[in-house]
Amino acid sequence: MAELALRTPTLDKDRVLQWLQKYGVYAGVAVLLVVNIAITPHFLSAENFRTQAVQVAPVIIVALGMALVIGTEGVDLSVGAVMALSASVVALYLGYGLLPALLVVALFAAGVGLANGALVAFIGVQPIVATLALMVGGRGLALVLLPQLEDLRNPTLASLGSGDVLGFPYLILVAAVLALIVAFVVRRTTFGRQLLAIGDSRPAAQLAGLPVRRVLIIVYVVSALLAAVAGVLATARLQASDPTSLGNLMELSAITAVVVGGTPLTGGRVNIAGTVAGAVLIQLLTATLIKHDLPPSWTQIAQAVVIVAAVYAARGRGKR
Amino acid sequence: MQRTTHRRSLARPVAVSLAAAVVLTATSCAKSEDDAAGGNSSATAAGAEQKVASPAPGSKTCTVEAYGAEKIDLKSATVGFSQSEKEANPFRIAETQSIKDEAKKRGVKLLTANAQSQFSKQISDVQDLLAKGADLLVIAPLNSDGWDPVLQAAAAKKVPIVTIDRKINATACKDYVSFIASDFVEQGKRAADQMIEATGGKGEVAILLGAAGNNVTTERTKGFKDRIAEKAPELKVVFEQTGDFAREKGQQVTEQLIQSNPNIKGIYAENDEMGLGAVAALKGAGKKPGDIKIVTVDGTRNAVQGIVDGWISGVIESNPRFGPLAFQTLDTFTQGEEVAQDIVIEDGAYTKDNAKSDLGKAY
Repeated sequence: MAELALRTPTLDKDRVLQWLQKYGVYAGVAVLLVVNIAITPHFLSAENFRTQAVQVAPVIIVALGMALVIGTEGVDLSVGAVMALSASVVALYLGYGLLPALLVVALFAAGVGLANGALVAFIGVQPIVATLALMVGGRGLALVLLPQLEDLRNPTLASLGSGDVLGFPYLILVAAVLALIVAFVVRRTTFGRQLLAIGDSRPAAQLAGLPVRRVLIIVYVVSALLAAVAGVLATARLQASDPTSLGNLMELSAITAVVVGGTPLTGGRVNIAGTVAGAVLIQLLTATLIKHDLPPSWTQIAQAVVIVAAVYAARGRGKR
Repeated sequence: MQRTTHRRSLARPVAVSLAAAVVLTATSCAKSEDDAAGGNSSATAAGAEQKVASPAPGSKTCTVEAYGAEKIDLKSATVGFSQSEKEANPFRIAETQSIKDEAKKRGVKLLTANAQSQFSKQISDVQDLLAKGADLLVIAPLNSDGWDPVLQAAAAKKVPIVTIDRKINATACKDYVSFIASDFVEQGKRAADQMIEATGGKGEVAILLGAAGNNVTTERTKGFKDRIAEKAPELKVVFEQTGDFAREKGQQVTEQLIQSNPNIKGIYAENDEMGLGAVAALKGAGKKPGDIKIVTVDGTRNAVQGIVDGWISGVIESNPRFGPLAFQTLDTFTQGEEVAQDIVIEDGAYTKDNAKSDLGKAY
């Protein structure tokens, strides 16, 4: 009896938190859209939506890989460094043509992903430590390969960054297609189920005879490859390779998008639609503050508030 | 029950990881600000060689006697040079090269070290240079504070120190001889002059700020705003957002700016990279060269090329070539003559009048 009386309010709170965790990110996006349409001059225009979408596309692409890694109860801090590395490699090999350059980029990224995955899967290094090593080393390598910013005047690369199909920029199309593929993999494939099982409990997955090491390695390679795609697209858009600052803080933006989107850091569950919405939420938040010329420090504080809210909402689930 | 415990125990390392990630990325961010702040010294009117703007007559000077060192012949001396940041941006590359070139030209033995943006390494670098027998030191400090151990070691060996581009918080002519750098407030003022000329002194302008909490940012902003308020009150600064001294950030912020403020007439970028990012944003939005006037500070080759191409209206130069002035100061000082304690460099500028002819002088 007493137990029941104690439980009832908790259940209500849980329900609110659950709702927030599931739909809060979409509600947030909707609120920001409505508020901006109401108060921000020139917000309701095709060019503006295009700008927001183009700016958020690389974040979404990186966050997709991050969501998979977090689904295995890991984290990938090296994504920003991989972006820088791919920028350097593109600049170095562009002379041989765009396609060969992209192949070399893929090789480098796969190498970083393999190293991350091997450290985590075979040596048993904690993901934070393993990917931290590659985060520091990856950017170091990027700067060794290309010590300073270099302008790229390659028309094919430039069109990759600014071209479009029926008014939809390549960046947005690439991000959308990749999001659909990753969502399909998570929901409908054996690999997706194995990944979530590992995130839920690695020992149990091992006991059940799942190919834990293979899945982990593939997940880190995919994360690195997606970061490389984002790095190439950002470089194409900038028409310059900037290994010093490209991808700085990207790991943080991606983790934020994933967490805000309702994917728990404890693994075992991945919400791809939420991740995309999480990235869009942060983008709209930043855009709102910039467009109204509020002090840049406010952006950081606002992001912190969103993260805390998301983590608070997720707490409800952890308790159950 | 057991499941709950398990989840909690898992959640903890993840939370720690996230916190660590925050700290780490914050550090890397600070580093990039430092790198970008590299655009912080000065140059003269599109000239390769630095010229002295001050000292004014009667300003404080220093001599070998007052400093407590001994006269030596620079030609037979060993000079140690400690660079703060890795040579990853045009400014640092040109700065180190200039020191090396001048040492070679004068036939002076030079020892060099690079602290890779780590202050503890710079401290040990300088101590190494002293141990290797440097008679004179040229330091490009990473930080202004925390130099006491080095200053004591140098004082014990009576080794004179000249600092370039950033100042050490210590007593001139006691802990170090002279500080050579440019006046960032003045750079901001001259950028404002260029902006007033380009826009006709009317309309709305935006500022792409450098990294927050950096004296280069503060001073370049102050100079710009003061001069606008004083000379062109009809020019309104309606937008100030940070571009972190980085090209991509400059591009992204400018994209937001030109949509929300379509009336904007000019953009003042506090370094060349952000200005070039603004150019990329304008190109992407289908603007024509000159639709929006851009003024930047630094004087890198890409920005000066931007003037030639019509996208940038003016570049206030920040000359990194400290070599000649640093060695001249050391030479004068070691011969027993007096040198100024604060040597401020006269800054130059590139406009459409001289951009093409002086492109070769940009770094």
